[in-house]
Amino acid sequence: MTANVFLIQILNGLVYGGLLFIVSVGLVLIFGLRRVVNFAHGSLFMIGAYVGFSISLVAGFWAGLAGAAVVLAVAGALLDVSVFRPLRRQDPIATVLVTFGLLLILEDLANTVWGKETHSLPLPEILAGSVDILGQPFPAYRLLVIAVAAAVGIGLALWLRFSRVGLFVRASSVDPVTTAVQGVNTDRVSALVVAVGTALAGLSGTIAAPLLALSPSMGGSILIESFIVVVVGGLGSFSGALIAALAIGQIHNLGIIYVPWAATMVPFLLMVAVLVWRPTGFAGSHV
Amino acid sequence: MSRATMNIAAARVASPRLSHLSWLLLVLALAVGFGLPGVVASVLVLTLLTQAVIGGMLAVGVGFLIRQNGVVSFGHAAWYGVSAYCLGLLLRHDVLSAELALVLALAVPTLTAFLLGLVIVRVPGVAFSMLTLAVGQAFHEFAMKAQGVTNGDDGFAIPLPDTLFGLPISTVQQPETMFVLCWSLLALVIFGLYVTVRSPFGRLTEAIRENEERARFIGYRTVLPRAATYAISAFVAALAGLLFALYNGFVSPEVLHWSLSGSALIMAVIGGSRLLWGPALGAVIFFFLKDLAGNMTEHWPAMIGATVIVVTVLMPAGIAGTLAELFERLRKAGGRA
Amino acid sequence: MTGSPYAIEGTALTRPYGGFFAVNKVDIAVPHGEIRGLIGPNGAGKSTLIDVLSGRAAVWSGQVRMDGRDIGALGAQERRRQGMARSFQKTNIFPELSVREQLDIAARKAEKPNVEEVMDELGLSDLGAARARDIAYGEQRRLDLALALIGRPRVLLLDEPAAGLSMRESLGLATLLRDLAQRWKVTVLLVEHDMEVVFSICDRITVLQLGRVLAEGTPDEIRRSADVVTAYLGSAA
Repeated sequence: MTANVFLIQILNGLVYGGLLFIVSVGLVLIFGLRRVVNFAHGSLFMIGAYVGFSISLVAGFWAGLAGAAVVLAVAGALLDVSVFRPLRRQDPIATVLVTFGLLLILEDLANTVWGKETHSLPLPEILAGSVDILGQPFPAYRLLVIAVAAAVGIGLALWLRFSRVGLFVRASSVDPVTTAVQGVNTDRVSALVVAVGTALAGLSGTIAAPLLALSPSMGGSILIESFIVVVVGGLGSFSGALIAALAIGQIHNLGIIYVPWAATMVPFLLMVAVLVWRPTGFAGSHV
Repeated sequence: MSRATMNIAAARVASPRLSHLSWLLLVLALAVGFGLPGVVASVLVLTLLTQAVIGGMLAVGVGFLIRQNGVVSFGHAAWYGVSAYCLGLLLRHDVLSAELALVLALAVPTLTAFLLGLVIVRVPGVAFSMLTLAVGQAFHEFAMKAQGVTNGDDGFAIPLPDTLFGLPISTVQQPETMFVLCWSLLALVIFGLYVTVRSPFGRLTEAIRENEERARFIGYRTVLPRAATYAISAFVAALAGLLFALYNGFVSPEVLHWSLSGSALIMAVIGGSRLLWGPALGAVIFFFLKDLAGNMTEHWPAMIGATVIVVTVLMPAGIAGTLAELFERLRKAGGRA
Repeated sequence: MTGSPYAIEGTALTRPYGGFFAVNKVDIAVPHGEIRGLIGPNGAGKSTLIDVLSGRAAVWSGQVRMDGRDIGALGAQERRRQGMARSFQKTNIFPELSVREQLDIAARKAEKPNVEEVMDELGLSDLGAARARDIAYGEQRRLDLALALIGRPRVLLLDEPAAGLSMRESLGLATLLRDLAQRWKVTVLLVEHDMEVVFSICDRITVLQLGRVLAEGTPDEIRRSADVVTAYLGSAA
């Protein structure tokens, strides 16, 4: 395995890591604000992929991408208003159970509307080919994925750093109680932030669709992987989620090539190892 | 205190007179179990009941963990499945007597759970739930990928012996006898858990569940009791998995999938975990609803998902818990009248 | 392990918080049998100091010694076995258990279980069967203290035991503490905002400000100290 091919594999790892990052960051946003773990997040990813697929059939890939994000944003706002807000004073496990119930409902919805057969989302024309990287052909679409992940990361960083809502999110991640009494309309901001979180899940679903197979069960595996990312990165930490997503993306990809049987176990072992060392996760609860 | 936390609140101190009542209930339960096949003619119903009892046992394991440790496991199928696979592998490779294989099939998941428990009980709240989901899936992945050992996705048939502890193997293959066996074991498990809960160990874990920090400050190590509780709940799950393997005669990675863990959790939520037998009731309701729904609609996942939401929000004590509360209120009203 | 004149001792204790130090090179040494008050304006680091001494917060820098022995590496349960007990500023009891049950659980870990004695002293004898979350706030504070008194600890760290209590209750508590300390020969380190309580029962007082020791002395010396007055009046502005 030459150095060039190895570097290509690193790039592939970045693709998966980037996808994981976009999904996981949505979870972190929701957790940071509402202090709950959205067990329906994987299903939202899946629904996003299907919605993007359906829209792209009539209006093209880019419309599908935008449409999925919008639809999922609306869904997120609804989720916040109907689930997170009413249950915010209860034990967080109540929200976990309700979102878990939602997971089942969404899976059924996907089955009903789109059927159990797998679909595939066709690539947009300009990205269907491959680009020459270090003498190796590399699918252009995958570069898009990396680009989108980077854009999300940078956009998010800027938003958190410079906007009022971003400041609120960062403050809330560290101290939700004090932040809540600062006179900001918590509920409206929460709905917005949760909408962004779910929109990201939907966006990553559509982006992932050409790479993975569209099926109602695609939500389950991404949910578990994003949980690992979020927990390893430190519940509530954005930078932790980034590092963890990239790391797990690499492990996932390199592992499958070099040590396939162990590859799937390593992220879990990493999760357990991190939690042994630090029961609050890798980075703790900073932003 | 929120209604959701009431779902995982401790039972009040029971008066000594109740322990006589509990023995009576055990005997009654066993009698019902032995009598039921005589009353229920339909083999189909008995089969369904047997499945419900086995599922109920797994749910009781999950519920016990919620009740004693105050944490929710999304990965208990791991212990169910490891037990089934242990039995299958040991019998397939014919290394030990069948009886010893049975014992090991129970011991291995329990011990593994204890060791894992020493690590994971330190993780608080929802992070614990996420961790159990991931760990459960890890076992599933292993079963899928380790083709040489587990035959991967296809699974394998379990070569059952002719006799087991002196009983003919048909005992576990026919619903009439298997139902009695499973039901009796479930009754004994619930009774055993009841005794555990009322013991000093049980009281201690309840105290730790309520206030882990203060428990340490009054001198207790908190990791060991919680890990032991986790191991006990895993043992119950393992027993269910063992019964499944014997009854089914076949094992495949499905027994380790998170959807099985999720179903068991749903049964525990629907039934309620404050009462030790609540999850078993939840299982019966679950299986009969599923059977009913299966004939009418394909939307079973949505139905059960909606049920979980409704129960969590409106009936946090679960059906058994709500019934018990009702009973308590009627009793008090009757006492005053 | 006698030999050290001090029952509980903190040397150069430092612990960061955000960009500051909650506790900054604090030295505190309480001789056997003394009742030491720990006072200071809000944010002075009093609770943090108690947390470090009791094992609730890890020692970041410095040493914690009990009877001359370094206990910094010991967890809360081990310190309890050594004879150190503490109460909490925010009531830290077992809400669903009855009063009697939780004291019994604590007593199982004690060499000399004294549940009846503690319940008697703290006026909880009639509340044995009551569930902890059903009793009044003042009674819950007393239960919080009672859990610490089981087994007659040698060193008692109290974090605002009078918080939220009426004046009458506070003074009753103060008298009780002084009485118990003398009879049981307990060394007490008491964080309090209620100056009546502090000045009435403490042998010596340590004053913290912004994580450092500002002054230490007898109640009279502290009352007369200009620094202390400035610290309190200055920060109140």
